[in-house]
Amino acid sequence: MRFLLHALLGLSLVLPVMVSAADNDEAVKMLERMTEAAKTLTYEGVFAYQAGKNMQSIRIYHRADARGELERLISLNGAAREVIRSNDMVTCINPEGKQVNVSRRPLGRGFPSDLPRRLNSATPFYDVNLGETDRIAGRKAHELVITPEDEYRYGYRLWVDAETYLLLKSELVGSDGEVLETFTFSSINTDVHIPEHKFKPQMSGEEMTWHRSEPEQPLNTANLSQEHHWRPAWLPEGFSQVAYQTRLRANNGADVEQRVYSDGLSSVSVFIEKIRARHSHLRGGSHVGAINAFGTIMQAHFVTVVGEVPAVTVEKIGNSISFADAQQ
Amino acid sequence: MTAKQHELLSAFVDGELNSQELDELLSLMSTDDNAKADYQRYQLSSDVLRGYTNRSQPVDLTSRISTALADEPVHQLAEQQTRKASVISLPDWFWKQTAGLAAAASIGALAVVGVFNQPQTMVTPELAQVEQVQTQTAVAASPNRWTVGEQEVEDRLNNYLVDHNEYAGASGLFSYARVVSYGEE
Repeated sequence: MRFLLHALLGLSLVLPVMVSAADNDEAVKMLERMTEAAKTLTYEGVFAYQAGKNMQSIRIYHRADARGELERLISLNGAAREVIRSNDMVTCINPEGKQVNVSRRPLGRGFPSDLPRRLNSATPFYDVNLGETDRIAGRKAHELVITPEDEYRYGYRLWVDAETYLLLKSELVGSDGEVLETFTFSSINTDVHIPEHKFKPQMSGEEMTWHRSEPEQPLNTANLSQEHHWRPAWLPEGFSQVAYQTRLRANNGADVEQRVYSDGLSSVSVFIEKIRARHSHLRGGSHVGAINAFGTIMQAHFVTVVGEVPAVTVEKIGNSISFADAQQ
Repeated sequence: MTAKQHELLSAFVDGELNSQELDELLSLMSTDDNAKADYQRYQLSSDVLRGYTNRSQPVDLTSRISTALADEPVHQLAEQQTRKASVISLPDWFWKQTAGLAAAASIGALAVVGVFNQPQTMVTPELAQVEQVQTQTAVAASPNRWTVGEQEVEDRLNNYLVDHNEYAGASGLFSYARVVSYGEE
């Protein structure tokens, strides 16, 4: 009898947990399919980007085939800024300043990023749930509600296309529930062939100033351990290093080191740049949209933390960074 | 569409056409379905959203369209798109009324209000609304940029923004929107 009672008690405790876990599993699976869809589908559309009171509409072309991925974003309001991403290059075009910035992508890295495979590791730090079914850009969409467990990361509400699993709408949510950024398709076509010329920039390159950043030689593991001079003593729980690279900026000859830390959903980059002459730098915090930055100067280096995380997070990380001389 | 036509369209959305250019554009729109479709895409994502988002509750445009379509079952993609196009296409009377107005900056916004309220009567009430929306826009607009004093610092942060975006998390597919819309008001 007592055994039966215990069994019943046990069941009543376990059942709700099982249901919620199943729900959570399904939501995480959808998140994974979503990131996969963004890489493997060919699509064309217009989406709105809103941060605070600013609103932009942006056209996007994305092609995925045997040759790899190709993507172009064009701002439809104001200056026709463009970003073109190919397998190995990121080209940013600013027609107003007549500037083109070209960065070579890190070698052997995926496109758009390799964060998705780490999604599972993020789940302890977020509550991931399926929300309502909605309609976005005329398509049926499932809502995913992602709530952080602490104040060091933002929450997300994602609307995923029921048919293709493409992300149709995304909201970045602050700790007080305020929506900090919204991306939302107003029209999207996933059943489309995009001709080559759609990936060519509107501006001809001749009258533009070109800036190139080249990655240095890929670092082997031995080198990597030698280079580990800069370390943040504090990271939010669950954050670990996912990428490391150095780039040479051709326009000022500066050597820039970037380390990326992520919990699988949110990420933070730490940039270290040696000061080559008398220059000024960001001291303290700044932000654009929901991206926060924190800058400081340390050991004759500009140290900058940038990420789609709350201001307190970049500041705490920035203040915890220290330089450890590898020779010692 | 030619580049010149794109330029016209873009200027129209920004309310920068003179009356002669406006006439040119209107005749283009009445004869060229592609131009009309392009216009709708421009307009949908720009002035409307700008105007409406300055209210205390941001209006989700896509959900409005969705509401209009709510009774429609989910079908093939091609069919959905045809229907969507028909919901937001501008009635003929609208073009006649618009053409009759001076080429003021408010026309772009007026077109939008017209589309979404689907007014069956006079144009005057809409004009009043447009004025209100535009005032709010002027007050609310602030540049979308780093709050730093010096160009050098701003440039450096922008380089970092681009490099960081490679690794931006859940909004990955959209993340470069932050780069292309940088500095716009």
